Amino acid sequence: MLVFAISDKGGTGRSVTSSNIVYRRALQGSDVCYLDFDFGSPTAGAIFSVSSVARGTAQGGMHRYFEGRLADPHRIDVWVESDREGLRGKPPGAGQMVLFPGDEGGGEFSTVSEEMLRRCVRLFSRLEEEFDLCLVDLSAGRSFAAQMALAATARLPGVPFRWLVFHRWTRQHIIAAHGLVRGRQGLLAAGVEHGHDEENLADHIRFVRTAVLEPDAAELEGLRETQKAWLHECDRELRELARKYGVGRTAMLGKIPLDPVLQWREQLISDEDVLSSQIANAETVAAFDDLAKKIVDDSAWEAL
Amino acid sequence: MTPAQAVFGEVEAERRVASAPLSHVSIELGHLYMEDFQAGPDRLREQFRQVAPWAETMRRSWQARVPGGRARVSTCFLIDDYFSRFSTPAELVPAVLEAAAECDLTIDYLARESACAETDGVKLARLVEDRLVTDPPAGTNGSRPPVTETGWLCNGARSPYGGAVQAMESARAWEPPAQNAKRRHSIFVDVELWDSDSRGRTWSCPFLAAVWQLLRLGLIRNDGELPVRPVPGGPPFPSDWEELPAIVQLNPAAAPFSAYSTMSVLSSRFLPVELAVRTILSQVFVDAEVLRQVAGRSAGEGVPLPDELVDRISYVFLGA
Amino acid sequence: MLLMGEVRTGLLQNSGEIPESLCQAVLGLLSGERVRVSRRPIMYAVSPDQLTGVDCRLASASRARVRGVGTVLSRASVTGGRVLQGSSHIRVVRAGSDHRLSWSHYLARPGVVEVFGKVRVPDLVEGFAESGAWNDCLDLGSVSERFMDAVQGSPLLDRKAPFKSARTRLRWVAVSAEREPGHEPGHEPGHEPGQEGPGIRFVLGRDRVRTLRLVLPGGLTPGVVDFCEDLALHDWLLTTLQVIFERAGVGTATRAEVTARLAPAVDHLLHLWMPAARLDDEFTPFWERLERRPGFSRQWLSLVARVRDQIAVNTLALLREAGGW
Ligand SMILES: Nc1ncnc2c1ncn2[C@@H]1O[C@H](COP(=O)(O)OP(=O)(O)OP(=O)(O)O)[C@@H](O)[C@H]1O
Ligand SMILES: [Mg+2]
Repeated sequence: MLVFAISDKGGTGRSVTSSNIVYRRALQGSDVCYLDFDFGSPTAGAIFSVSSVARGTAQGGMHRYFEGRLADPHRIDVWVESDREGLRGKPPGAGQMVLFPGDEGGGEFSTVSEEMLRRCVRLFSRLEEEFDLCLVDLSAGRSFAAQMALAATARLPGVPFRWLVFHRWTRQHIIAAHGLVRGRQGLLAAGVEHGHDEENLADHIRFVRTAVLEPDAAELEGLRETQKAWLHECDRELRELARKYGVGRTAMLGKIPLDPVLQWREQLISDEDVLSSQIANAETVAAFDDLAKKIVDDSAWEAL
Repeated sequence: MTPAQAVFGEVEAERRVASAPLSHVSIELGHLYMEDFQAGPDRLREQFRQVAPWAETMRRSWQARVPGGRARVSTCFLIDDYFSRFSTPAELVPAVLEAAAECDLTIDYLARESACAETDGVKLARLVEDRLVTDPPAGTNGSRPPVTETGWLCNGARSPYGGAVQAMESARAWEPPAQNAKRRHSIFVDVELWDSDSRGRTWSCPFLAAVWQLLRLGLIRNDGELPVRPVPGGPPFPSDWEELPAIVQLNPAAAPFSAYSTMSVLSSRFLPVELAVRTILSQVFVDAEVLRQVAGRSAGEGVPLPDELVDRISYVFLGA
Repeated sequence: MLLMGEVRTGLLQNSGEIPESLCQAVLGLLSGERVRVSRRPIMYAVSPDQLTGVDCRLASASRARVRGVGTVLSRASVTGGRVLQGSSHIRVVRAGSDHRLSWSHYLARPGVVEVFGKVRVPDLVEGFAESGAWNDCLDLGSVSERFMDAVQGSPLLDRKAPFKSARTRLRWVAVSAEREPGHEPGHEPGHEPGQEGPGIRFVLGRDRVRTLRLVLPGGLTPGVVDFCEDLALHDWLLTTLQVIFERAGVGTATRAEVTARLAPAVDHLLHLWMPAARLDDEFTPFWERLERRPGFSRQWLSLVARVRDQIAVNTLALLREAGGW
């Protein structure tokens, strides 16, 4: 299955969240891969702690593959090449976890040529043969990467795909997420242009809220009553807004709480971070775990 | 046969390839387009008058080459009914035959150009297109699909064009196209094989001409069978082109239609077309078994053939 | 001089095995050419031969610049309606001229790549087997994969494969133990001293790459391609079954889960094991060598036994739970 991760605004937590989903899914026993399609800023390696490709690979990654300069993009077995002790060595029962980084110094493309599109179709169909889950991290906003993903999936009718739209829990983000899906030249409009059925495409899009601070979270214990009341009121308004914009509970696949570790560093959160060093919150891991299951759980994707 | 091979000797696992009867040379006496026809019967007569001595020369040279002088020479004539339909067989064919006879030429076979696109449900042009193996520019290592512009075929590397560039990448300077087998300087040829519109695909004149050459060389097979066989015929001719067989054998005593080699006598306005034809033919991969058959038979007759197809084709180009 | 090739093997992207008629349709990559099928002892269908033009460096152990021009011969095949292979190979010969000739010259020699200049066969053998497609060198594997892609992309396949699996890569080179006619003795034979006799060397590498070096007793017969494809097929079966077994979670997952994870192997793989089924006799000794070491069938049979045992034990346990035995 292909899963596309997109957000309207930058810095929403799209990459960190989707990397953690991939990691959780691998731990759950699936073969997974992560494709860095954020062509303007190929830095996925950092999240997986593969320092040799922290800023993209020098051995020919996504960019050079799409330019037709190599047959197979550089692939990294995270269980082997990660610098983090806790990630090295595939745990028993876990699946493959492979990272396809962009090129070091690679930039956003100026268009999607027919050749690039064909290469994309070939890449997707080959990876689908091998992996249970291929997560494609597109960049923020309307991009050639997103356009290519829409066009390629339209040409691969047999390959299941799903879209995750990431947004933070704020007014601006909610409106933007709605616009990215339903707005002018949004995913649905562009999808239809490339041959998707609008309703079917819409059924394959869900929202993910990132870095959510619940008004009654433990972190907020020390707040004054007036502040708490205000937060509750904000949250109520946001829920109302989200519902109005079709970004509400029903269209939401999951939400990830604000996590102190992620606020400071983009990384995978291991069970060890929760259990032994206790730097990360158990709720965060639980949320990632839950999302990783829901992504492939058909009942979570029934038509709305 | 060893037992191991016997196990695999199932019918469907074997490959059978029919062989074509072959002359030594197939001479094309002319190729009639609407504009020639519209120019009137004198134009045709003039054409045949110019062709006759060359055809005779070809015949003699083969007689001299073949032991005992028993050269098999057949002649053919192609009428365009693909790009434009004009007149009717009933009207046109007798006129052509008459004009040829006046110049002491016998037309053994008459063919319709549309037959090169499709005959009896066999898509000949498609068969040939599938067998194109593009001439690789230096540096082609198989890692990428062959560079093709759909519907075009060239003899080298095209000048790189726009395409996708990465943001903030330095701009690319213009580069010339290059011929693969150049001798220092290039003669770059890019041939349009077909175009298409709402009614479907239209094959280009050079592409059909390439199919025509392959037919005359007896090198096309469909599922191991000969895709077109000449059908004996004579007057009266039908009033509809569709009813005329793809290749009509007009002379019952003619040598076989296909031949080891071909010769075409053409107006020099066809020079660019034939350059395109050679560009195409030099990239057609003919079934190795068929090539072996033909080579074996010609060698058996004491007339060794050049390995390369394009070397089996010769032309005489006539000025206006 | 030598033959070299690369076979890629993978699971056909369809929910069930496909019947003969469908094999014919998905492998009909060339109009006017028939897909050949043999049914005994297992259904095997193979596409017409395809050619791809190349003009590039050949990998050499010494990193010497060796340029080759010619065509790669490829075919795609489906075994048991289930396993797809893309196979490409070339016969390397010395060029008769010192510059590239017209393309029709090469087209008249399908599957032959002519190399220019001084070439040492062992240099090419080592270079190809070891490094495969480094830099811009000949990449037979990619050619093979493209033909696989063409088959996998057929709209006639439902793409609902019963399990995920990676394609394997078998890179092979073959030389003849016979001296080439016209070769001065002691000067540039096809192989190193001490390796004169027929032999086979099969190496499992990283990233699902396997290399195979063959010294054939006779000339370089086309049967060697069948042999390499057959070996690649069985190596893929073994590799794939191993992964399925490893992932089944024996000991950690529930019995029902283990059985469910092993089931696709039983349904789709176990009956495909038939080494050397369609090979020329001259290759039987090679298979026999491989059966001794590393012992393909031995490993396969023991794995199959474990799969069957697991399923039997689990089924019994489940029955007991259900029926209260
Ligand atoms: N659940 C979370 N709690 C706290 N901080 C988070 C959380 N998720 C992400 N972050 C932080 O937010 C920042 C942006 O995250 P990330 O880089 O994943 O966003 P992005 O959407 O991929 O951004 P870009 O558009 O730049 O690629 C990072 O510093 C990250 O660590
Ligand atoms: Mg990011």
